[in-house]
Amino acid sequence: MESLSGLALAVALAALGLWTMVTRRNVLWKLLGLNVASGGSILFLVALSHRSGARPAIVGLGPRPAVDPLPQALVLTAIVIHFATLALALALVIVLTERRHTQDVKKLEEEG
Amino acid sequence: MSAALAGVCGYLGLGVLGLVLGQGKILALFALAGGIASLTVWAPGFPESLVGSLPFGVAVAGDPWALGIWGLALTLHLAVLVQGWLKDGLYHSLITVLVGTCLAGGISRDLFNLYVVLELSSLLSVVLVAKEGRSAAVWAALRYLLLAGVGMTLYLFGLGLVYGRTGVLAITSLSQTDFSEPSLRVGVGLLLSGAAVKAGVFLLGLWLPPAHGQAPTEISALLSGVVVKLGIVTLARIAEAFPIEPVLLSLGILTGFGGLVYALWERDLKILLGHHTVSQLGYMLIGLGLGAWEAALFYTVAHGLFKALLFLSAGMAVEAKGARTLAELKGGLPRPVVLGLALGTWAIVGLPPLVGFAGKNALSFASPTWAKALLQGLSLGTAVSFAKLFPLCKPEKGGSLGGIPFLAAGVVALGILGFFLFPGLLHPISWLEAFSLAFGGYGVHLFLGPRMRTLPRITFDWAVLWALISAFGLAFGLLLGTCWI
Repeated sequence: MESLSGLALAVALAALGLWTMVTRRNVLWKLLGLNVASGGSILFLVALSHRSGARPAIVGLGPRPAVDPLPQALVLTAIVIHFATLALALALVIVLTERRHTQDVKKLEEEG
Repeated sequence: MSAALAGVCGYLGLGVLGLVLGQGKILALFALAGGIASLTVWAPGFPESLVGSLPFGVAVAGDPWALGIWGLALTLHLAVLVQGWLKDGLYHSLITVLVGTCLAGGISRDLFNLYVVLELSSLLSVVLVAKEGRSAAVWAALRYLLLAGVGMTLYLFGLGLVYGRTGVLAITSLSQTDFSEPSLRVGVGLLLSGAAVKAGVFLLGLWLPPAHGQAPTEISALLSGVVVKLGIVTLARIAEAFPIEPVLLSLGILTGFGGLVYALWERDLKILLGHHTVSQLGYMLIGLGLGAWEAALFYTVAHGLFKALLFLSAGMAVEAKGARTLAELKGGLPRPVVLGLALGTWAIVGLPPLVGFAGKNALSFASPTWAKALLQGLSLGTAVSFAKLFPLCKPEKGGSLGGIPFLAAGVVALGILGFFLFPGLLHPISWLEAFSLAFGGYGVHLFLGPRMRTLPRITFDWAVLWALISAFGLAFGLLLGTCWI
Protein backbone atom coordinates (compact mmCIF):
# COMPACT_ATOMS: atom_id res chain seq x y z
CA MET A 1 0.00 0.00 0.00
CA GLU A 2 1.34 3.38 -0.93
CA SER A 3 1.72 6.13 1.61
CA LEU A 4 -1.58 7.94 1.17
CA SER A 5 -0.60 11.02 3.14
CA GLY A 6 2.53 11.34 1.03
CA LEU A 7 0.53 11.12 -2.18
CA ALA A 8 -2.00 13.68 -0.94
CA LEU A 9 0.79 16.04 0.07
CA ALA A 10 2.43 15.63 -3.33
CA VAL A 11 -0.77 16.48 -5.17
CA ALA A 12 -1.37 19.45 -2.86
CA LEU A 13 2.16 20.77 -3.48
CA ALA A 14 1.72 20.47 -7.24
CA ALA A 15 -1.65 22.19 -7.10
CA LEU A 16 -0.21 25.00 -4.99
CA GLY A 17 2.76 25.47 -7.30
CA LEU A 18 0.70 25.46 -10.48
CA TRP A 19 -1.85 27.81 -8.92
CA THR A 20 1.00 30.22 -8.15
CA MET A 21 2.17 29.94 -11.77
CA VAL A 22 -1.23 30.92 -13.07
CA THR A 23 -2.11 33.71 -10.67
CA ARG A 24 1.15 35.57 -9.99
CA ARG A 25 2.34 38.01 -12.61
CA ASN A 26 5.97 38.14 -11.52
CA VAL A 27 8.29 35.75 -13.36
CA LEU A 28 10.21 34.93 -10.19
CA TRP A 29 7.00 33.86 -8.44
CA LYS A 30 6.15 31.72 -11.45
CA LEU A 31 9.54 30.04 -11.24
CA LEU A 32 9.03 29.45 -7.55
CA GLY A 33 5.63 27.92 -8.32
CA LEU A 34 7.13 25.64 -10.94
CA ASN A 35 9.79 24.54 -8.48
CA VAL A 36 7.21 23.71 -5.80
CA ALA A 37 5.15 21.80 -8.36
CA SER A 38 8.12 19.77 -9.53
CA GLY A 39 8.97 19.09 -5.90
CA GLY A 40 5.44 17.71 -5.65
CA SER A 41 6.07 15.40 -8.59
CA ILE A 42 9.24 14.08 -6.94
CA LEU A 43 7.45 13.45 -3.66
CA PHE A 44 4.73 11.67 -5.64
CA LEU A 45 7.20 9.19 -7.12
CA VAL A 46 8.86 8.56 -3.75
CA ALA A 47 5.53 8.12 -1.97
CA LEU A 48 4.41 5.62 -4.62
CA SER A 49 7.34 3.34 -3.87
CA HIS A 50 6.57 3.24 -0.16
CA ARG A 51 5.18 0.01 1.28
CA SER A 52 4.05 -0.11 4.90
CA GLY A 53 6.52 -1.98 7.06
CA ALA A 54 9.17 -2.13 4.35
CA ARG A 55 12.76 -1.15 5.00
CA PRO A 56 14.74 1.32 2.90
CA ALA A 57 16.28 -0.13 -0.24
CA ILE A 58 19.76 -0.56 1.23
CA VAL A 59 21.63 -3.88 1.25
CA GLY A 60 22.24 -5.33 4.72
CA LEU A 61 19.37 -3.73 6.64
CA GLY A 62 17.75 -6.99 7.65
CA PRO A 63 15.42 -9.62 6.26
CA ARG A 64 12.26 -7.50 5.91
CA PRO A 65 11.14 -6.75 2.32
CA ALA A 66 12.53 -3.49 0.92
CA VAL A 67 10.70 -0.64 -0.80
CA ASP A 68 10.79 -0.46 -4.59
CA PRO A 69 14.15 1.16 -5.41
CA LEU A 70 13.36 2.09 -9.03
CA PRO A 71 11.30 5.26 -8.41
CA GLN A 72 14.00 6.51 -6.08
CA ALA A 73 16.60 6.04 -8.80
CA LEU A 74 14.36 7.89 -11.25
CA VAL A 75 13.81 10.71 -8.79
CA LEU A 76 17.53 11.33 -8.56
CA THR A 77 17.65 12.10 -12.29
CA ALA A 78 14.52 14.23 -12.08
CA ILE A 79 16.01 16.32 -9.23
CA VAL A 80 19.10 17.08 -11.29
CA ILE A 81 16.95 18.08 -14.26
CA HIS A 82 14.78 20.37 -12.11
CA PHE A 83 17.89 21.99 -10.69
CA ALA A 84 19.24 22.66 -14.17
CA THR A 85 15.90 24.08 -15.31
CA LEU A 86 15.73 26.42 -12.32
CA ALA A 87 19.31 27.63 -12.75
CA LEU A 88 18.87 28.28 -16.46
CA ALA A 89 15.54 30.05 -15.94
CA LEU A 90 17.04 32.30 -13.25
CA ALA A 91 19.89 33.22 -15.60
CA LEU A 92 17.34 34.18 -18.24
CA VAL A 93 15.38 36.23 -15.69
CA ILE A 94 18.57 38.12 -14.79
CA VAL A 95 19.19 38.95 -18.46
CA LEU A 96 15.58 40.09 -18.90
CA THR A 97 15.64 42.21 -15.76
CA GLU A 98 18.82 43.96 -16.91
CA ARG A 99 17.41 44.67 -20.37
CA ARG A 100 13.78 45.43 -19.70
CA HIS A 101 13.82 46.51 -16.04
CA THR A 102 10.72 44.49 -15.26
CA GLN A 103 9.75 41.01 -14.17
CA ASP A 104 6.07 41.51 -14.83
CA VAL A 105 4.80 38.99 -17.38
CA LYS A 106 2.25 41.39 -18.90
CA LYS A 107 4.89 44.05 -19.55
CA LEU A 108 7.33 41.47 -20.92
CA GLU A 109 4.65 40.27 -23.33
CA GLU A 110 3.75 43.74 -24.55
CA GLU A 111 7.02 44.75 -26.11
CA GLY A 112 8.68 41.39 -26.62
CA MET B 1 22.16 -2.16 -30.94
CA SER B 2 25.75 -1.41 -29.95
CA ALA B 3 26.28 0.54 -33.18
CA ALA B 4 23.33 2.82 -32.40
CA LEU B 5 24.44 3.29 -28.80
CA ALA B 6 27.96 4.08 -29.99
CA GLY B 7 26.51 6.72 -32.31
CA VAL B 8 24.51 8.33 -29.50
CA CYS B 9 27.43 8.20 -27.06
CA GLY B 10 29.74 9.61 -29.71
CA TYR B 11 27.41 12.53 -30.28
CA LEU B 12 26.85 13.32 -26.61
CA GLY B 13 30.50 12.72 -25.68
CA LEU B 14 31.99 14.78 -28.49
CA GLY B 15 29.50 17.57 -27.84
CA VAL B 16 30.36 17.74 -24.15
CA LEU B 17 34.06 17.46 -25.00
CA GLY B 18 33.63 20.42 -27.32
CA LEU B 19 32.02 22.42 -24.50
CA VAL B 20 35.01 21.67 -22.27
CA LEU B 21 37.87 21.89 -24.75
CA GLY B 22 36.61 24.37 -27.35
CA GLN B 23 37.18 23.11 -30.92
CA GLY B 24 33.43 22.47 -31.18
CA LYS B 25 33.36 22.65 -34.98
CA ILE B 26 35.89 19.88 -35.60
CA LEU B 27 34.32 17.68 -32.94
CA ALA B 28 30.87 18.30 -34.45
CA LEU B 29 32.20 17.08 -37.80
CA PHE B 30 33.56 13.95 -36.13
CA ALA B 31 30.27 13.37 -34.37
CA LEU B 32 28.33 13.73 -37.62
CA ALA B 33 30.66 11.28 -39.41
CA GLY B 34 30.33 8.85 -36.52
CA GLY B 35 26.55 9.23 -36.51
CA ILE B 36 26.28 8.52 -40.23
CA ALA B 37 28.57 5.49 -39.88
CA SER B 38 26.50 4.22 -36.96
CA LEU B 39 23.26 4.67 -38.91
CA THR B 40 24.60 2.77 -41.92
CA VAL B 41 25.58 -0.12 -39.65
CA TRP B 42 22.27 -0.46 -37.80
CA ALA B 43 19.94 0.73 -40.60
CA PRO B 44 18.41 -2.75 -41.17
CA GLY B 45 17.06 -2.35 -37.64
CA PHE B 46 17.52 -4.25 -34.42
CA PRO B 47 14.97 -5.82 -32.07
CA GLU B 48 14.04 -4.29 -28.75
CA SER B 49 16.68 -5.01 -26.14
CA LEU B 50 17.91 -3.60 -22.88
CA VAL B 51 21.00 -1.39 -22.92
CA GLY B 52 24.10 -3.43 -22.11
CA SER B 53 22.09 -6.70 -22.25
CA LEU B 54 21.51 -6.54 -18.50
CA PRO B 55 18.44 -8.16 -16.93
CA PHE B 56 17.09 -4.68 -16.18
CA GLY B 57 17.56 -1.26 -17.70
CA VAL B 58 16.49 1.01 -20.53
CA ALA B 59 14.77 -0.53 -23.55
CA VAL B 60 15.95 0.59 -26.99
CA ALA B 61 14.99 -0.61 -30.46
CA GLY B 62 15.96 0.15 -34.04
CA ASP B 63 12.44 0.38 -35.45
CA PRO B 64 11.24 2.54 -38.38
CA TRP B 65 10.61 5.54 -36.08
CA ALA B 66 14.20 5.43 -34.91
CA LEU B 67 15.37 5.17 -38.52
CA GLY B 68 13.27 8.17 -39.57
CA ILE B 69 14.37 10.37 -36.68
CA TRP B 70 18.02 9.47 -37.20
CA GLY B 71 17.93 10.18 -40.90
CA LEU B 72 16.18 13.48 -40.28
CA ALA B 73 18.46 14.57 -37.43
CA LEU B 74 21.67 13.74 -39.30
CA THR B 75 20.54 15.49 -42.50
CA LEU B 76 19.56 18.59 -40.55
CA HIS B 77 22.81 18.56 -38.61
CA LEU B 78 24.75 18.49 -41.88
CA ALA B 79 22.76 21.43 -43.25
CA VAL B 80 23.02 23.41 -40.01
CA LEU B 81 26.74 22.72 -39.73
CA VAL B 82 27.33 24.16 -43.19
CA GLN B 83 24.93 27.05 -42.62
CA GLY B 84 26.47 28.12 -39.31
CA TRP B 85 30.09 27.25 -40.13
CA LEU B 86 31.30 30.72 -39.17
CA LYS B 87 29.70 30.65 -35.71
CA ASP B 88 31.83 29.85 -32.67
CA GLY B 89 32.70 26.42 -31.30
CA LEU B 90 30.42 26.70 -28.26
CA TYR B 91 27.41 27.05 -30.55
CA HIS B 92 28.38 23.95 -32.53
CA SER B 93 28.99 21.94 -29.36
CA LEU B 94 25.54 22.78 -28.03
CA ILE B 95 24.00 21.82 -31.37
CA THR B 96 25.93 18.54 -31.31
CA VAL B 97 24.58 17.64 -27.87
CA LEU B 98 21.06 18.62 -28.99
CA VAL B 99 21.24 16.40 -32.08
CA GLY B 100 22.65 13.60 -29.90
CA THR B 101 19.63 13.99 -27.61
CA CYS B 102 17.32 13.62 -30.59
CA LEU B 103 19.16 10.48 -31.69
CA ALA B 104 18.78 9.05 -28.20
CA GLY B 105 15.08 9.90 -28.22
CA GLY B 106 14.63 8.14 -31.55
CA ILE B 107 15.78 4.75 -30.33
CA SER B 108 14.48 4.80 -26.76
CA ARG B 109 11.39 2.82 -25.87
CA ASP B 110 11.10 3.62 -22.20
CA LEU B 111 8.85 6.26 -20.67
CA PHE B 112 11.41 7.61 -18.23
CA ASN B 113 14.19 7.72 -20.78
CA LEU B 114 11.88 9.69 -23.05
CA TYR B 115 11.26 12.08 -20.13
CA VAL B 116 14.99 12.67 -19.71
CA VAL B 117 15.43 13.18 -23.44
CA LEU B 118 12.52 15.65 -23.61
CA GLU B 119 13.85 17.66 -20.66
CA LEU B 120 17.39 17.69 -22.02
CA SER B 121 16.17 18.82 -25.42
CA SER B 122 14.19 21.69 -23.91
CA LEU B 123 17.13 22.85 -21.80
CA LEU B 124 19.49 22.85 -24.79
CA SER B 125 16.94 24.48 -27.09
CA VAL B 126 16.35 27.24 -24.56
CA VAL B 127 20.07 27.98 -24.32
CA LEU B 128 20.36 28.06 -28.11
CA VAL B 129 17.26 30.24 -28.61
CA ALA B 130 18.45 32.79 -26.07
CA LYS B 131 22.13 32.66 -26.98
CA GLU B 132 22.22 35.69 -29.24
CA GLY B 133 20.66 37.69 -26.43
CA ARG B 134 17.90 39.74 -28.09
CA SER B 135 15.27 40.52 -25.43
CA ALA B 136 12.43 39.07 -27.52
CA ALA B 137 14.36 35.84 -27.98
CA VAL B 138 15.24 35.62 -24.27
CA TRP B 139 11.59 36.11 -23.31
CA ALA B 140 10.46 33.51 -25.87
CA ALA B 141 13.05 31.10 -24.46
CA LEU B 142 11.92 31.69 -20.87
CA ARG B 143 8.28 31.13 -21.87
CA TYR B 144 9.33 27.90 -23.53
CA LEU B 145 11.25 26.75 -20.45
CA LEU B 146 8.40 27.52 -18.04
CA LEU B 147 5.70 25.90 -20.16
CA ALA B 148 7.86 22.85 -20.85
CA GLY B 149 8.42 22.69 -17.08
CA VAL B 150 4.67 22.60 -16.46
CA GLY B 151 4.27 19.89 -19.09
CA MET B 152 7.07 17.79 -17.72
CA THR B 153 5.70 18.04 -14.16
CA LEU B 154 2.41 16.63 -15.45
CA TYR B 155 4.37 13.95 -17.32
CA LEU B 156 6.16 12.89 -14.11
CA PHE B 157 2.84 12.56 -12.28
CA GLY B 158 1.52 10.46 -15.14
CA LEU B 159 4.65 8.36 -15.15
CA GLY B 160 4.27 7.78 -11.41
CA LEU B 161 0.66 6.64 -11.80
CA VAL B 162 1.49 4.34 -14.71
CA TYR B 163 4.45 2.83 -12.90
CA GLY B 164 2.49 2.48 -9.67
CA ARG B 165 -0.28 0.52 -11.44
CA THR B 166 1.77 -1.60 -13.85
CA GLY B 167 5.27 -1.79 -12.36
CA VAL B 168 6.92 -1.35 -15.77
CA LEU B 169 8.02 1.58 -17.91
CA ALA B 170 9.06 -0.09 -21.18
CA ILE B 171 6.62 0.49 -24.05
CA THR B 172 6.34 -3.16 -25.09
CA SER B 173 5.56 -4.37 -21.58
CA LEU B 174 3.05 -1.55 -21.12
CA SER B 175 1.21 -2.55 -24.30
CA GLN B 176 0.36 -5.89 -22.70
CA THR B 177 -1.22 -4.39 -19.58
CA ASP B 178 -4.91 -4.02 -18.87
CA PHE B 179 -6.00 -0.47 -19.68
CA SER B 180 -9.31 -0.54 -17.83
CA GLU B 181 -7.96 0.57 -14.43
CA PRO B 182 -9.15 4.16 -13.73
CA SER B 183 -5.95 5.47 -12.17
CA LEU B 184 -3.94 4.08 -15.07
CA ARG B 185 -6.18 6.01 -17.44
CA VAL B 186 -5.64 9.26 -15.53
CA GLY B 187 -1.91 8.55 -15.59
CA VAL B 188 -1.93 8.06 -19.35
CA GLY B 189 -3.88 11.29 -19.74
CA LEU B 190 -1.23 13.18 -17.78
CA LEU B 191 1.58 11.53 -19.77
CA LEU B 192 -0.21 12.50 -22.93
CA SER B 193 -0.59 16.13 -21.93
CA GLY B 194 3.04 16.37 -20.88
CA ALA B 195 4.19 15.03 -24.22
CA ALA B 196 1.63 17.23 -26.00
CA VAL B 197 3.13 20.36 -24.41
CA LYS B 198 6.51 19.39 -25.84
CA ALA B 199 5.05 18.40 -29.20
CA GLY B 200 3.38 21.81 -29.61
CA VAL B 201 -0.19 20.50 -29.71
CA PHE B 202 -2.60 23.42 -29.95
CA LEU B 203 -3.56 25.07 -26.64
CA LEU B 204 -0.84 23.12 -24.84
CA GLY B 205 2.04 24.17 -27.05
CA LEU B 206 1.49 27.89 -27.52
CA TRP B 207 5.12 28.55 -26.61
CA LEU B 208 6.17 27.13 -29.97
CA PRO B 209 5.64 29.90 -32.55
CA PRO B 210 7.46 32.67 -30.64
CA ALA B 211 10.30 30.38 -29.56
CA HIS B 212 10.86 28.96 -33.04
CA GLY B 213 10.33 32.33 -34.66
CA GLN B 214 12.69 34.30 -32.43
CA ALA B 215 15.53 31.76 -32.47
CA PRO B 216 18.63 32.27 -34.65
CA THR B 217 18.32 30.93 -38.22
CA GLU B 218 19.95 27.51 -37.81
CA ILE B 219 18.31 26.91 -34.45
CA SER B 220 14.81 27.58 -35.81
CA ALA B 221 15.46 25.00 -38.52
CA LEU B 222 16.70 22.45 -36.01
CA LEU B 223 13.88 23.10 -33.51
CA SER B 224 11.06 22.90 -36.02
CA GLY B 225 12.77 20.17 -37.99
CA VAL B 226 13.61 17.60 -35.40
CA VAL B 227 13.36 18.72 -31.76
CA VAL B 228 9.59 19.15 -31.85
CA LYS B 229 9.41 15.68 -33.47
CA LEU B 230 10.68 14.19 -30.21
CA GLY B 231 7.29 15.07 -28.77
CA ILE B 232 5.62 13.33 -31.72
CA VAL B 233 7.79 10.25 -31.18
CA THR B 234 6.80 10.21 -27.52
CA LEU B 235 3.13 10.46 -28.47
CA ALA B 236 3.62 7.66 -31.01
CA ARG B 237 5.23 5.47 -28.34
CA ILE B 238 2.41 6.17 -25.87
CA ALA B 239 -0.11 5.36 -28.62
CA GLU B 240 1.72 2.08 -29.16
CA ALA B 241 1.40 1.18 -25.48
CA PHE B 242 -2.19 2.30 -24.85
CA PRO B 243 -5.31 2.53 -27.06
CA ILE B 244 -5.58 6.33 -27.26
CA GLU B 245 -6.08 6.79 -31.01
CA PRO B 246 -9.40 8.73 -30.77
CA VAL B 247 -7.78 11.25 -28.41
CA LEU B 248 -4.86 11.78 -30.76
CA LEU B 249 -7.22 12.16 -33.70
CA SER B 250 -9.23 14.90 -32.01
CA LEU B 251 -6.06 16.62 -30.79
CA GLY B 252 -4.74 16.47 -34.34
CA ILE B 253 -7.81 18.12 -35.83
CA LEU B 254 -7.72 20.85 -33.17
CA THR B 255 -3.99 21.42 -33.67
CA GLY B 256 -4.20 21.50 -37.44
CA PHE B 257 -6.95 24.09 -37.62
CA GLY B 258 -5.92 26.05 -34.51
CA GLY B 259 -2.39 26.56 -35.77
CA LEU B 260 -3.73 27.41 -39.21
CA VAL B 261 -6.06 30.15 -37.95
CA TYR B 262 -3.19 31.88 -36.18
CA ALA B 263 -0.95 31.43 -39.22
CA LEU B 264 -3.50 33.08 -41.52
CA TRP B 265 -3.39 36.25 -39.45
CA GLU B 266 0.37 36.39 -38.79
CA ARG B 267 2.51 38.98 -40.54
CA ASP B 268 5.98 38.16 -39.11
CA LEU B 269 7.64 35.69 -41.52
CA LYS B 270 9.42 33.45 -38.99
CA ILE B 271 6.57 33.42 -36.48
CA LEU B 272 4.23 32.59 -39.39
CA LEU B 273 6.39 29.53 -40.08
CA GLY B 274 6.19 28.67 -36.36
CA HIS B 275 2.39 28.72 -36.49
CA HIS B 276 2.56 26.49 -39.55
CA THR B 277 4.70 24.03 -37.64
CA VAL B 278 1.84 23.74 -35.12
CA SER B 279 -0.65 23.32 -37.95
CA GLN B 280 1.47 20.68 -39.70
CA LEU B 281 1.83 18.73 -36.45
CA GLY B 282 -1.91 18.24 -36.82
CA TYR B 283 -1.32 16.07 -39.90
CA MET B 284 1.04 13.80 -37.98
CA LEU B 285 -1.37 13.49 -35.05
CA ILE B 286 -4.25 12.73 -37.40
CA GLY B 287 -2.08 10.05 -39.00
CA LEU B 288 -1.30 8.56 -35.58
CA GLY B 289 -4.95 8.82 -34.58
CA LEU B 290 -6.07 6.94 -37.68
CA GLY B 291 -3.57 4.20 -36.89
CA ALA B 292 -1.63 4.92 -40.08
CA TRP B 293 1.72 5.21 -38.40
CA GLU B 294 3.73 4.65 -41.59
CA ALA B 295 2.09 7.70 -43.15
CA ALA B 296 2.54 9.68 -39.92
CA LEU B 297 6.23 8.75 -39.81
CA PHE B 298 6.73 9.67 -43.46
CA TYR B 299 5.02 13.00 -42.87
CA THR B 300 7.15 13.62 -39.78
CA VAL B 301 10.37 13.21 -41.75
CA ALA B 302 8.97 15.11 -44.73
CA HIS B 303 7.86 18.03 -42.57
CA GLY B 304 11.22 18.08 -40.82
CA LEU B 305 12.98 18.50 -44.16
CA PHE B 306 10.78 21.12 -45.78
CA LYS B 307 10.18 23.16 -42.64
CA ALA B 308 13.91 23.26 -41.96
CA LEU B 309 14.39 24.44 -45.55
CA LEU B 310 11.76 27.15 -45.08
CA PHE B 311 13.22 28.28 -41.77
CA LEU B 312 16.78 28.41 -43.14
CA SER B 313 15.67 30.48 -46.14
CA ALA B 314 13.43 32.70 -44.02
CA GLY B 315 16.24 33.25 -41.52
CA MET B 316 18.63 34.17 -44.33
CA ALA B 317 16.03 36.56 -45.76
CA VAL B 318 15.60 38.20 -42.35
CA GLU B 319 19.36 38.48 -41.94
CA ALA B 320 19.80 39.91 -45.45
CA LYS B 321 17.16 42.62 -45.04
CA GLY B 322 17.30 43.24 -41.31
CA ALA B 323 13.50 43.16 -41.14
CA ARG B 324 11.02 40.51 -40.06
CA THR B 325 7.56 41.28 -41.40
CA LEU B 326 6.30 40.10 -44.78
CA ALA B 327 5.66 43.64 -45.99
CA GLU B 328 9.24 44.73 -45.32
CA LEU B 329 10.73 41.62 -46.92
CA LYS B 330 9.08 42.14 -50.32
CA GLY B 331 11.49 41.88 -53.24
CA GLY B 332 15.24 42.25 -53.39
CA LEU B 333 16.11 38.97 -51.68
CA PRO B 334 19.18 36.91 -52.65
CA ARG B 335 18.56 34.20 -55.25
CA PRO B 336 19.28 31.10 -53.10
CA VAL B 337 16.90 32.39 -50.42
CA VAL B 338 14.10 32.80 -52.92
CA LEU B 339 14.80 29.35 -54.33
CA GLY B 340 14.64 27.86 -50.84
CA LEU B 341 11.41 29.68 -49.96
CA ALA B 342 9.80 28.69 -53.25
CA LEU B 343 10.83 25.05 -52.98
CA GLY B 344 9.69 24.89 -49.35
CA THR B 345 6.34 26.49 -50.21
CA TRP B 346 5.94 24.08 -53.14
CA ALA B 347 6.51 21.19 -50.75
CA ILE B 348 4.35 22.41 -47.85
CA VAL B 349 1.26 23.08 -49.98
CA GLY B 350 1.61 19.51 -51.25
CA LEU B 351 2.37 19.96 -54.92
CA PRO B 352 4.00 17.07 -56.81
CA PRO B 353 6.67 15.79 -57.14
CA LEU B 354 8.09 17.04 -53.84
CA VAL B 355 7.89 15.42 -50.47
CA GLY B 356 4.77 17.21 -49.21
CA PHE B 357 2.70 15.66 -52.01
CA ALA B 358 3.82 12.14 -51.08
CA GLY B 359 3.21 12.80 -47.37
CA LYS B 360 -0.26 14.28 -47.78
CA ASN B 361 -1.40 11.56 -50.15
CA ALA B 362 0.03 8.79 -47.97
CA LEU B 363 -2.13 10.18 -45.16
CA SER B 364 -5.24 10.51 -47.29
CA PHE B 365 -4.87 6.94 -48.67
CA ALA B 366 -5.09 5.72 -45.09
CA SER B 367 -8.08 7.81 -44.04
CA PRO B 368 -11.85 7.44 -44.39
CA THR B 369 -13.77 9.99 -46.46
CA TRP B 370 -14.56 12.45 -43.67
CA ALA B 371 -10.91 12.56 -42.59
CA LYS B 372 -9.91 13.06 -46.23
CA ALA B 373 -12.16 16.11 -46.38
CA LEU B 374 -10.58 17.48 -43.19
CA LEU B 375 -7.09 16.97 -44.57
CA GLN B 376 -8.02 18.72 -47.79
CA GLY B 377 -9.45 21.62 -45.79
CA LEU B 378 -6.13 21.86 -43.96
CA SER B 379 -4.21 21.78 -47.24
CA LEU B 380 -6.40 24.52 -48.68
CA GLY B 381 -5.82 26.66 -45.59
CA THR B 382 -2.08 26.10 -45.79
CA ALA B 383 -2.12 27.19 -49.42
CA VAL B 384 -4.12 30.32 -48.51
CA SER B 385 -1.62 31.22 -45.84
CA PHE B 386 1.46 30.52 -47.94
CA ALA B 387 0.11 32.65 -50.78
CA LYS B 388 1.31 35.53 -48.60
CA LEU B 389 4.89 34.55 -49.51
CA PHE B 390 4.37 35.14 -53.26
CA PRO B 391 5.49 38.81 -53.24
CA LEU B 392 8.77 37.73 -51.64
CA CYS B 393 9.76 35.61 -54.62
CA LYS B 394 11.44 38.26 -56.76
CA PRO B 395 15.16 37.50 -56.71
CA GLU B 396 17.52 40.39 -57.36
CA LYS B 397 21.03 39.34 -56.49
CA GLY B 398 23.18 36.30 -55.80
CA GLY B 399 24.11 35.25 -52.31
CA SER B 400 25.63 32.47 -50.25
CA LEU B 401 23.96 29.07 -50.46
CA GLY B 402 24.42 28.03 -46.83
CA GLY B 403 22.73 24.77 -45.93
CA ILE B 404 19.92 25.20 -48.47
CA PRO B 405 21.24 22.71 -51.12
CA PHE B 406 21.31 19.79 -48.67
CA LEU B 407 17.75 20.32 -47.51
CA ALA B 408 16.53 21.02 -51.05
CA ALA B 409 18.14 17.76 -52.17
CA GLY B 410 16.49 15.99 -49.22
CA VAL B 411 13.06 17.39 -50.08
CA VAL B 412 13.35 16.29 -53.71
CA ALA B 413 14.95 12.90 -52.99
CA LEU B 414 12.48 11.85 -50.32
CA GLY B 415 9.65 13.10 -52.54
CA ILE B 416 10.78 10.78 -55.31
CA LEU B 417 11.31 7.94 -52.84
CA GLY B 418 7.70 8.49 -51.78
CA PHE B 419 6.53 7.42 -55.24
CA PHE B 420 8.12 4.02 -54.62
CA LEU B 421 6.96 3.71 -51.01
CA PHE B 422 3.34 4.61 -51.67
CA PRO B 423 2.12 3.31 -55.01
CA GLY B 424 -0.90 5.24 -56.20
CA LEU B 425 0.80 8.64 -56.12
CA LEU B 426 0.97 8.64 -59.91
CA HIS B 427 -2.81 8.57 -60.18
CA PRO B 428 -3.94 11.69 -62.10
CA ILE B 429 -6.73 12.41 -59.59
CA SER B 430 -4.17 13.02 -56.83
CA TRP B 431 -2.26 15.42 -59.06
CA LEU B 432 -5.42 17.23 -60.05
CA GLU B 433 -6.47 17.52 -56.40
CA ALA B 434 -3.07 18.86 -55.36
CA PHE B 435 -2.98 21.52 -58.04
CA SER B 436 -6.59 22.59 -57.57
CA LEU B 437 -6.09 22.93 -53.78
CA ALA B 438 -2.94 25.01 -54.25
CA PHE B 439 -4.42 27.33 -56.85
CA GLY B 440 -7.73 27.47 -55.02
CA GLY B 441 -5.79 28.57 -51.96
CA TYR B 442 -4.16 31.36 -53.93
CA GLY B 443 -7.58 32.47 -55.15
CA VAL B 444 -9.00 32.53 -51.63
CA HIS B 445 -5.99 34.55 -50.53
CA LEU B 446 -6.57 37.13 -53.26
CA PHE B 447 -10.21 37.36 -52.22
CA LEU B 448 -9.73 37.42 -48.46
CA GLY B 449 -6.32 39.11 -48.22
CA PRO B 450 -7.51 42.70 -47.76
CA ARG B 451 -10.36 41.68 -45.45
CA MET B 452 -8.35 40.31 -42.50
CA ARG B 453 -8.83 41.60 -38.96
CA THR B 454 -6.48 40.93 -36.05
CA LEU B 455 -6.87 37.99 -33.70
CA PRO B 456 -6.53 38.19 -29.91
CA ARG B 457 -3.01 37.32 -28.80
CA ILE B 458 -2.58 34.51 -26.32
CA THR B 459 -0.48 35.78 -23.44
CA PHE B 460 1.70 33.65 -21.22
CA ASP B 461 -0.71 33.35 -18.30
CA TRP B 462 -3.43 32.11 -20.60
CA ALA B 463 -1.02 29.64 -22.15
CA VAL B 464 -0.23 28.12 -18.74
CA LEU B 465 -3.87 28.06 -17.75
CA TRP B 466 -4.90 26.43 -21.01
CA ALA B 467 -2.14 23.87 -20.72
CA LEU B 468 -3.43 22.91 -17.27
CA ILE B 469 -7.09 22.87 -18.30
CA SER B 470 -6.28 20.76 -21.36
CA ALA B 471 -4.25 18.38 -19.22
CA PHE B 472 -7.12 17.82 -16.81
CA GLY B 473 -9.49 17.58 -19.76
CA LEU B 474 -7.36 14.87 -21.31
CA ALA B 475 -6.99 12.95 -18.05
CA PHE B 476 -10.69 13.02 -17.22
CA GLY B 477 -11.67 12.49 -20.83
CA LEU B 478 -9.69 9.27 -20.82
CA LEU B 479 -11.16 8.32 -17.45
CA LEU B 480 -14.73 8.78 -18.64
CA GLY B 481 -14.25 7.64 -22.20
CA THR B 482 -14.51 3.92 -21.51
CA CYS B 483 -17.29 3.45 -24.01
CA TRP B 484 -15.54 4.86 -27.06
CA ILE B 485 -12.05 3.48 -26.60
